[in-house]
Amino acid sequence: MNLNFIKTICPYCGTGCGIILQVKGGRAVTTLADRSHPVSRGGLCIKGWTAHEFIHHPDRLTKPLLKKNGKFKELSWDEAIGLAADRLKETVKAHGPDAVASLSSARCTNEENYLFQKLIRAGLGTNNVDHCARLCHGPTAAAMAYALGSGAMTNSIADFSGAECILIIGSNAAETHPIIMGEIYKARDNGAVLVVVDPRRTEVANNADMHLQINSGTDIPLIDAMMKLILDASLENREFIASRTDGFTEMKEYLSQRTLEELSRECGIPLEDIRKVAELYARAREASIVFCMGITQHACGTSNVYAICNLALLCGHVGKPHSGICPLRGQNNVQGACDVGALPNVYPGYQAVADEKNHAKFAQAWGRDLSRKPGLTVTEIFAAAGTTVRTLYTMGENPLLSDPNQGHLMEMIPKLDFFIAQDLFMTETARYADLVLPAACYAEKTGTFTNTERRIQLLRKAVDPPGEAKDDFSILCLLLKAFGLKGDYADPSEVMDEIAALTPIMAGVHFDRLGTHGLQWPVPSDDHPGTRYLHKDTFTRGKGLFVVPKYTPPKEMPDENYPFVLNTGRMFSHYHTGTMTRRSPFLDREVDKPFVEIHPADAARLGIVEGGGVTVTTRRGSIETFARITTRVMEGSLFAPFHFSEAPANALTIEELDPDSKMPELKVCAARLEKG
Amino acid sequence: MTDRTEDSGNIQVVLEGAGRKIVVFACTWCALIGADGAGKKRISLPATFRVIPVECISRVEADAVIRAFTSGIDGVAVMGCHLGGCRHNGANLRSARKLELLKPLLDTVGIDSRRLFTSYGTAHEYHQFAQAIESFCSQIGEMPPVSAWSRSFVRAMSARGENE
Amino acid sequence: MSLREEVLTRVKALLKDRRVDGVLGLSLFEKEPVPCLFEDPFDVDALVIEPKWLLAKLAMNILKTAPQEYRLGLVCRGCDDRAVTELAKRNQLDRNRLTLLGIPCTAEQARKCLCSTPYPREIVAGERVEGMYPMNDEQAQLFLTGSMEERMKRWARELNRCIKCYGCRNVCPICVCIPCKLEDDLWVKRGHIPADMVSYHLIRAFHLSDTCVSCAGCTDTCPVNIPLMLLQVSMRETLKSQYAYEPGLDPERVSPVLTEQEKGEGTLFQEPAWIDSLRGGS
Repeated sequence: MNLNFIKTICPYCGTGCGIILQVKGGRAVTTLADRSHPVSRGGLCIKGWTAHEFIHHPDRLTKPLLKKNGKFKELSWDEAIGLAADRLKETVKAHGPDAVASLSSARCTNEENYLFQKLIRAGLGTNNVDHCARLCHGPTAAAMAYALGSGAMTNSIADFSGAECILIIGSNAAETHPIIMGEIYKARDNGAVLVVVDPRRTEVANNADMHLQINSGTDIPLIDAMMKLILDASLENREFIASRTDGFTEMKEYLSQRTLEELSRECGIPLEDIRKVAELYARAREASIVFCMGITQHACGTSNVYAICNLALLCGHVGKPHSGICPLRGQNNVQGACDVGALPNVYPGYQAVADEKNHAKFAQAWGRDLSRKPGLTVTEIFAAAGTTVRTLYTMGENPLLSDPNQGHLMEMIPKLDFFIAQDLFMTETARYADLVLPAACYAEKTGTFTNTERRIQLLRKAVDPPGEAKDDFSILCLLLKAFGLKGDYADPSEVMDEIAALTPIMAGVHFDRLGTHGLQWPVPSDDHPGTRYLHKDTFTRGKGLFVVPKYTPPKEMPDENYPFVLNTGRMFSHYHTGTMTRRSPFLDREVDKPFVEIHPADAARLGIVEGGGVTVTTRRGSIETFARITTRVMEGSLFAPFHFSEAPANALTIEELDPDSKMPELKVCAARLEKG
Repeated sequence: MTDRTEDSGNIQVVLEGAGRKIVVFACTWCALIGADGAGKKRISLPATFRVIPVECISRVEADAVIRAFTSGIDGVAVMGCHLGGCRHNGANLRSARKLELLKPLLDTVGIDSRRLFTSYGTAHEYHQFAQAIESFCSQIGEMPPVSAWSRSFVRAMSARGENE
Repeated sequence: MSLREEVLTRVKALLKDRRVDGVLGLSLFEKEPVPCLFEDPFDVDALVIEPKWLLAKLAMNILKTAPQEYRLGLVCRGCDDRAVTELAKRNQLDRNRLTLLGIPCTAEQARKCLCSTPYPREIVAGERVEGMYPMNDEQAQLFLTGSMEERMKRWARELNRCIKCYGCRNVCPICVCIPCKLEDDLWVKRGHIPADMVSYHLIRAFHLSDTCVSCAGCTDTCPVNIPLMLLQVSMRETLKSQYAYEPGLDPERVSPVLTEQEKGEGTLFQEPAWIDSLRGGS
C-alpha cells in the first residue's frame, strides 16, 4: 500500500509548528501533530490540524492563464514565461527599471524569496521588491533594527515558560498564535504574572492576571507613564543603562515633559493600574514583552515599537534567557522573506542597498550592475500603480484583501500596463491580472521556512502540484534563465548554499544541518549551533539605543457622522485573506459568515440583534456583514476580521501611513453602523 | 479592572420570574401522568420548572443534560418509569445507567451532581410528582446558579490581579 | 538483546513470512521518530519504539481504506492494545486482520501518563512494570478533590484556555463518530473560543465514559496544557466499582451501559446498589 508520513511545517502562522502529512496514493489525506517538534511538541491549532484540506481543492490553478478581452485563456508554460519575460523587458526598456514593481511572498520559502529578489534586483535592475511584512511587522523591523540592531524576536518560544512577568501588548495570541500562547500559559502555571494591554477583551485578556483595556492607539502614553513610574520608584536597571545603552539622558528629558495624569487620561487607564503593571514588570527577574499587530498597525507604529524597546532597555529585560522583546510574526515565513532580502532597502541578511560595500559585493556575486536606490514599498507601489509603476509582478500575495482601502486598489490596478500574478488559487487579486501563473503550495515543495523565533526549518515535499502547476522555485528558475541569470539550480539546497555565502547571519545554514529541529539564526559558521537569544553581551548595533517616540493620536477619530472606532484583525479559525482556510471545509464550517463585533449597549441602542445583518460604513467604503454581540469590544468600538472577501474589512480601512515604515493604520478608523 | 459580564456566545434560557431554572424530562407513561394529575388537582408548585414530555427517558441523552447546563438551566430532572417496567424493551435501564455515570463527571468539574435529579417509577401519582419537584426545586434554590460556573474564572482572574 | 532489537526481529519475521502485508510502527527519519508503514523487511532497520505514539487510530484508518485482504501488524503499547480492543468491539476494525506486537512501557512513561496498566495483554519482549493510579498523584488530586467551588474554579480556569483546536478529539483513538456532535452547532456553538466549556468538554468526556482507555493522548496533545484525561478518572472509578468493568481489558465483555438488564442466576456483574434501592422503593 502506498502510504507515507511526511514531516513538514505548518503553512499558516509564524509559530512554525511541526505537522506530519499522511499521504496515500499521491494525496494528502490527514494531518498529524509532530510529537518530536521543538516548538509544537505534538500540539496544533485548528488550522494546523486541517492543513491538508485545501491542498487538493478543485479551485487550484492548474495551467498558466492569459487574459484576453476580459477572459482568461490557457497557454503553455513556454509561452507564459516568454511573455512574462518580454513584457518585463519591454517595460524596463520603455520606462526604465523602476517602472517594474514586485511583491514577493511571506508564504513562499526562503529560497524562492531569495531567487525572486535576485530576479528583480539583478535581472531587472530595480529594488522595487517588497512583501506583506510591510503590513505586519514593518515598523518592528525598522524600529528594532535601529534601536537594537536586529528586527527579529530576541528570544525563543520555549523561553516564555521561564519568565516571571509577561506583558502582552496588542496581540491576541490565543487566536492568532495558539501554540505560543500555550507556552505563555505554561509560564503562568509556573507562577508568572500575565498582563494584557488591549482595547478588546480578547481571549488572552480573559486568561490574564490583569487586563488594561486602553483606548485604541494610545500605547505610547501608556508605556511612557510606565517608564515614568519606574523611574519615580527607582526601579530602573542602572547598571544595564550605564553599560549597555545610549540616549538615556534624552529619554529622561522627554519623559519629564509630560505629567502622569495627562498620560493616564490619554490612554484611559487609572494611574494605580499602570503603577501596578510597571512595578510588576520592573521588579521581575526575567520579563518578556510580547507584541503584535496592535502595536504596529498604527500611523505611529514605528514609535510604538521604540516605546517597547525603551521599556525593555530601562529595566534591562533584554539579552538574557526568558526575557526579551518578542514580536510575533504573522505569516509562516515572513521572518525568512525579510531575512533573504524581499525588502526594497536591503539585500539578503539586512545589508543595506545604499551601502557601497554591500552593493559591490552583490553586484559581483550576481554578475550584474545593481540599482543603488532603495525601492518602493507595498503601499507606495499601489499609490504609483499606472503612473510611474507600469508593470507589476506578485508572487503569492492577495493585496486586494490584505491592504488598506480596497476601493483605491481596485481603481489603481487596472491602470497597470501588465500585471503578472503567481498564486495557488484565482484570488481576488489574481482576477485583475493579465497573466496568472499556477504555483505550488507548501506540501508540494522543498525548501525552508523561518519561524518567528528565527528558526530555519525544512519543508519537505509530500505530493505533486496539481496539473501543470509548478513550484515557485521552478518558475523563478525559468524566469532567471530568461534574463540570462543562473537558473540551473539542481534543487533549493543549492540556493541556500548561495544565500549562506552572501549572508553573514545565515553563513552556517545548509540543508544537511537542518534536520527536524532546524537552526536559529544568527548561524555565523558551519559549526555554530544557532542562537537561542539575541544581544547577549552586546547589542547587534553595539549599544542599545533609547529612541524618543513620536506619538501621534489615531488620524481618524470618531465624530458625529462616524461615531464608532473600527478595529480589524484575525480570528481563530481563519487565516488572513482566507484563500486557504475558506477552502478547508472544516474551518469554513466553523465560521462561514463575516461578522462584526458590537457591544451589547450599542446593539440595543441601534436595535441590532445577534446574527442580524448590519452595514458598516467608513469614508472609504461600506460592507454588509452580520452582527456578533459581545462584551469583547468596548462600547463605541467595532471589530471586524478581514478574512472575508464578501465583506472585506479592508474596504473600510484608512491608508494613513507611518512615516518611517510606511505601515498603514489598519487598527483604527472611524465608522458608522447601521442595521440591515 | 472593571467587572464585565461574561458572554459565552450561547443561547441563554430566559424564564419569567426570578429564581433558578429547572427542566423536567418526564416520561409519557409515568412522570407525565403524575405531572398531569398535579395540574388537574391544582396543586401549588414552584414556578421555576418546565416539563418536557418524552416518550421514554431513553430519549434523553446525557448530552442533552449537559447542554441544558450550558444554556443556563440550574437543575435537570429526568423522571421515568420504574426500572424493569419500561415499555421500550428495558431502554430506560440503559439510560439510567448512563445518567448515573454522568453524575461523577458533573462532580469532577464542580457542577455538582445534585443538579441532576433522576427518578424512576416514583412520580406516577400526582402527590409523588409534586413532592419530588418541590424537594428538587428547593434543593436547587439553595445552590448557586449554574451560570456562576462559567463566571467563576473571571472573578478568580481579577482577584489574583488585585492581590498582587 | 534490547527491547527494540527483539521487536525488530519479530517485525522482520512477520514481513518475511508474509504473515502480514505491512507493519505500522515508528521509524527514525533524520534522527527523529515518525509513524511508518513498513512493508519491506529491509526498511525495518529504521524501526524505533520510543517515544509513546498512539497508532491505533492510524491502524484503523489503514485497515478501513486498504483492500479487504490486507493484513496489518501493529507495534503497540498497553493503551493502543486497549484501544484496538474497544474499536473492534464497536466494529471499527477487523481484529482478524490485525497482528499485535505488544511492548510494555517504562515506569517513567507510566508515571507520566498516570497509566494503571502500562502494558498490553500480550507482550513480545521486555518486562511489565507496575502501573499507577491517578488518585495517588499529587497533581491529579488537585483537580479531583476539594469542595465543589474549588473544583469549579480550578476546572474553569483550565477549560477557559481552550483554543478549540479539536486536537483532543483528533488524537483520541476512540473518537470515531461521523458526524461528530462537537462540530454541530446545536451542541457546541460554532465560531467561538474557548470552546463552550461545559458542552464541548463534558460531551466529549462523557462520550468516552465507558470507552476511554486512558492513553493520555488528549492531555499530551493539548497545546494549552489542560489535563483532559483527568475528566475521565471518576467515571472510570465508577465503572470499576459498580460493574467491575474496565474498558479495553476484555474483548468479550460489552460495556455495562449498553447491556440489557440481566435476569436470574449467573449474571456477569452485579447490579449497582442504587438500582436495587429504587426497585425496592417503587
